Amino acid sequence: MKSATLVFFAAAVALSAGCANPERSRDLANPNVSATTLAQQVCSNCHGMTGSAVSPNFPNLAGQMAPYLVAQLNGFKSRGRHDPAGFEYMWGLSRSLTEDQIKGLAAYYAAQALDAQPLEGDRRRLEAGKALFETGVADKGVPACSTCHGPKGEGNATFPRLAGQHADYLVKQLVVFQRTDERPEGSIMKTVAHELTGQNIQDVAGYLQALPNL
Amino acid sequence: MNISIDAAGPFAAKPLQAMLALATLVLALLPGSVQAIPAFNRQTGQNCVACHAGGQFPELTPYGRLFKMTGYTIGERTLPISAMAVASLSKVADTSKSDDPGADFQKNNRAILATASLLLGGKVTDNIGAFAQITYDPYATQDADGNFHGHSHADNIDIRYADRFISGNRDLIVGISANNNPSVSDPWNTAAAWMQYVPVPSPTSSRFIDGNAPYPGYGAGGNIAGLSAYAYWNKTVYFELGGYGTSRGLSSFMSAGLDDASTTKLRGINPYWRLAYNREWGPHSMMIGTSGMVARVYDDPLDTADPASTHKFTDLAVDAQYQYLLDPHAVTAQFVYARNHHRYPAALADQPAAFFDATAAATLANTNAADTNHVLRAKLSYVYQAKYGGSIGFFNLTGTTNTANQTAGYDDTGTLVKADGVASNLSGNPATRGWTLEAFWMPIQYLRVGMQYTAYSRFNGASANYDGFGRNARDNNSLFLYTWLAY
Repeated sequence: MKSATLVFFAAAVALSAGCANPERSRDLANPNVSATTLAQQVCSNCHGMTGSAVSPNFPNLAGQMAPYLVAQLNGFKSRGRHDPAGFEYMWGLSRSLTEDQIKGLAAYYAAQALDAQPLEGDRRRLEAGKALFETGVADKGVPACSTCHGPKGEGNATFPRLAGQHADYLVKQLVVFQRTDERPEGSIMKTVAHELTGQNIQDVAGYLQALPNL
Repeated sequence: MNISIDAAGPFAAKPLQAMLALATLVLALLPGSVQAIPAFNRQTGQNCVACHAGGQFPELTPYGRLFKMTGYTIGERTLPISAMAVASLSKVADTSKSDDPGADFQKNNRAILATASLLLGGKVTDNIGAFAQITYDPYATQDADGNFHGHSHADNIDIRYADRFISGNRDLIVGISANNNPSVSDPWNTAAAWMQYVPVPSPTSSRFIDGNAPYPGYGAGGNIAGLSAYAYWNKTVYFELGGYGTSRGLSSFMSAGLDDASTTKLRGINPYWRLAYNREWGPHSMMIGTSGMVARVYDDPLDTADPASTHKFTDLAVDAQYQYLLDPHAVTAQFVYARNHHRYPAALADQPAAFFDATAAATLANTNAADTNHVLRAKLSYVYQAKYGGSIGFFNLTGTTNTANQTAGYDDTGTLVKADGVASNLSGNPATRGWTLEAFWMPIQYLRVGMQYTAYSRFNGASANYDGFGRNARDNNSLFLYTWLAY
């Protein structure tokens, strides 16, 4: 490389290094970047511009309980939540977020309206899911989900909203709760989900995804 | 940099065992934590699987495409250096039909360190980021004693300025890329610069592996200097327009490591364009696109005095990619069809052929003024748990027959001769067709161990006796084993 090229690039880098652009920044280590900017510039790539994720690989965040979102972001940041989806995608992104940014992100998503979700599964399975959600499985000691997550699955503080969540995401998380200790903050779910069969999990997840449409 | 490697190589004795030993050594040396990881990985703190479909670098996920289009600026600034290395073994099905197997199939069935790269990548400012690769080829040249000498040169370089404007549900990403290889700036992996991605070793035993089989490409080649501007609207429409010229002066770093005689010399500014439609629904994503380039390349890089001494390449391609990404599954289907029109400089067009007919009575037809080639590539791949994967690929090159393409034929005494060893072409036609099957394993996200088998049903215009000396297309079938470490 010729010295002129080096000088040119050194000058270009030096000139631009000072130019932070907090309104449209994707810098995850700059406390001056607002939560809304981060939500739009970074989080939106997987979770959608307003918290409705196109791919079921990523949870919908629109209309989610703010205290639950704060708890999850703190769980990722502290690496307490260590399910694969958590550490593969979220540990790094959350590692330098400030308390204010975390609160701001939670407020941003809590205020969004969730897009309509696709109806999947036949009526029989949806009804089985509904029964499980509303009454649990008495003879196995599985309580009704609605007791904590609300009669419409709308959530309650650190109990997340489930209505309209991607079924695939719900299935994976129920399996994480049931079979691992990767989400210690949700350890209560280990007991709750312990007796669920694979079919139970599919049914209740399908019902919850469809719930806002029913 | 020049390093000599003994022609026998350190792993020559028991190649497979040596490769396994290398893989084991690498595994043992790697810490299990996320302390020392590739540069982008350090920058976002995410696993490879976030940006690379099923973890199979370099194929990008929808998120990986956005990471690239927003100028590699997501995350926090860190040490922007990574490295990668490939150890490999190539084995050609038939090495007997050759006058000089030692030259035709260098390092055949031997494990070698194929290539190593230093990667500089990452966020520079809120709007500027870069990806630059410097590659070391241990087998760049060979001296009269048969010893290989290594050499380093600038590989893919992509330096970006990007911005993203968001209002409600409207989303516009715009950017500028300074790069040295047409389509290296492209976010989809059916782009010419990305579809073939396994590093190809230089020794001639790798001459028939998949990476050397027909792939779509641009006549201008790489190590040129380009500037392109792009826009991506609502994750739906992507448009890019660029111009490429010779790498020199301020842009000479784009061809660093290449001497003047090896540096492509372009006449003026040569346009490149790309248009793609993208759609994402559920775990699916799909792209249909088209791209093209017109380039005038000087025949002799050392003589650019006469503007008429240029080859004119007109490349047009349509491509499509479908991805299904839902953990633990990653499915990708890729398709590219490319048309390449090559007009020769006047001094090379309509020239007397070098070969005669079988009776030596008359020379063959004069050379063509222009050739047209068509390349079709299709590939279907599947990865489970970002660990176990496989793919099946098909390639078909067809094109015009040109006596200038002939490297075998009858001389003026009616004797059959060949000038290009086992790659000699008797028909003057480039038609080459075949399949590649691949299986790979990624025990950890930084390491990939793979096996490719490429089978030819046609080579240089014929399925049998393509060189005039009895070599058949299937004799070129090749096995390629590799261990690829990116760290």
